[in-house]
Amino acid sequence: MIRLPLFRRALGDSWRSTLAWGLGLAAAAFLYLPLYPSLGGSTQMQDLISSLPAEMTKALNYDQIATGPGYTQATLFGLIGFLLMAIASVAWGAAAVGADEESGQLELTLAHGVRRVQVVFERSLAMTLRIVLLSLVLLTLVLALNGPAQLGIAPSHAVGAATLFAGLALVSGSAALCAGAISGRRSVGLAAGGAVAVLSYVSNAVGRQSPDLAWLLDVSPYTWAYANSPLANGANWAAVGWLWGISGALVAVAAIALEQRDVGV
Amino acid sequence: MDAVISVQSLTKVFGSREVLHGVDLTVRAGSVYGVIGPNGSGKTTTMRCLLDIIRPTSGQVRVLGQDPRQGGPALRRRIGYLPGELFLAGRVTGRQLLARYEDISGPVEPGRIGELAERLGLDLDRHARKLSKGNRQKLGLVQAFMHQPDVLLLDEPTSGLDPLVQQEFHSMVHEASINGQTIFLSSHVLSEIQQTADTGAILRDGRIIAEQSMEALRTSAVRRVRLGASKITAGDAVARLLAVPGLGQVEAVASDGGVTLTATLEGAVQPLVRALGSLELTDLVIEEPDLEQSVLALYSEHQADPT
Repeated sequence: MIRLPLFRRALGDSWRSTLAWGLGLAAAAFLYLPLYPSLGGSTQMQDLISSLPAEMTKALNYDQIATGPGYTQATLFGLIGFLLMAIASVAWGAAAVGADEESGQLELTLAHGVRRVQVVFERSLAMTLRIVLLSLVLLTLVLALNGPAQLGIAPSHAVGAATLFAGLALVSGSAALCAGAISGRRSVGLAAGGAVAVLSYVSNAVGRQSPDLAWLLDVSPYTWAYANSPLANGANWAAVGWLWGISGALVAVAAIALEQRDVGV
Repeated sequence: MDAVISVQSLTKVFGSREVLHGVDLTVRAGSVYGVIGPNGSGKTTTMRCLLDIIRPTSGQVRVLGQDPRQGGPALRRRIGYLPGELFLAGRVTGRQLLARYEDISGPVEPGRIGELAERLGLDLDRHARKLSKGNRQKLGLVQAFMHQPDVLLLDEPTSGLDPLVQQEFHSMVHEASINGQTIFLSSHVLSEIQQTADTGAILRDGRIIAEQSMEALRTSAVRRVRLGASKITAGDAVARLLAVPGLGQVEAVASDGGVTLTATLEGAVQPLVRALGSLELTDLVIEEPDLEQSVLALYSEHQADPT
């Protein structure tokens, strides 16, 4: 029987914060989505967007804000939801190993009948499950508000976009976990995970400005996930594979790094 | 009897700093082995090597006949560990916290946790992070003892405990030893080792500089002697006692018709008693040996040693 004691413990410790982030996402969805008919879809809004510099609308992904999927993408999946999820996943990733070691608790856990690899895998599984749960919350809200807010999003496209949304958060969370496991420091995990999330967003925004900078788009997980407007056109499943695959690889590196080194020094 | 813990030429280098310079020690089954040493002498590092939390730079470590690196979780389930600095997770009660450690350690008999908590006077329903230092330490002790492990590694076990609870702890160690469990404990306070251990070792600057049974340490220990005698001059009294081996720091003060004399005695008591037979004693006090002093003597010998 698979008991996964560390996984259960990690979930038990974090249900409060998971709930809080879920409420935050719900608040964002309820704030933005019902405004679409009067805001994104209105001609005045369209005029306003057109009057803005093209660089700015591109950077904010507001160029498609006149459609329901474009509006949902630009406001929720691409901006406020992305931000909330990045913060949550980076915090969880940095806490999973790095902060636990820094506080001195990892030492006692490892003195018991567990393997280090098991610690990394069970805790990253707990982080993944929380990210998936929050993405499901977002998906449920989008589907629920789809009709009332006249968004016109195909449900299958919403599922694909939520999968990418989760994958994007998972990459920064896993980067935080990996850096924390290598260094044994919470701050290093936070810095690495934050850097991945921020650079991913910024290189997308900058890369869209001119063809000379387009190479930035190739290295931005944010672009991989959202370049083809998944809410309008369905997910790019290759991007899903990349995001989840890279996350898996980062967790594997974390496990190997922790297995090799001294703990708590 | 088998060696439950055996450490040979253990060294550990952190960066450019060598913390252990070849530690050798053997702990036999069912014994209580106490390591005394100041903070930073390498006690904690040695224990962490026994648990595979830290990997030795060189040397050989065996616990229950196994290399900790190879023994893995199965070996660690047979060890109970109390870290020197105990950090416990926040928003759970002591009972919940112990249940978590129970999940990842060896099997715990039903009722065992409650029984240990009661002995130590620990309230299991309070939140772990609201506990005082002493109560957290009790929680750590319950956590180490609850699965009745074959080996107990206790780093500064009584720190923060009040004297009554310390007594209870000493009897827990004693019982564990009678049960055949092997105990390896460390302290920077000698009296603690003195009360619990059969063997004491002194670790200093990453090296065991002395290892002795507590019995032997007691006989080699320095005792204070004070006596009063009548019908003798101070000079004569001192002359008679100077022949006693191990007697030093003799000070005699003449008092009416006799003498009051203080001295230190190292080693056996018998020669002194024999010499005293020829005196008309009015008073005699031979104090309990102060191990603290003999250990300090060992320390200073070691420091005087140019190597």
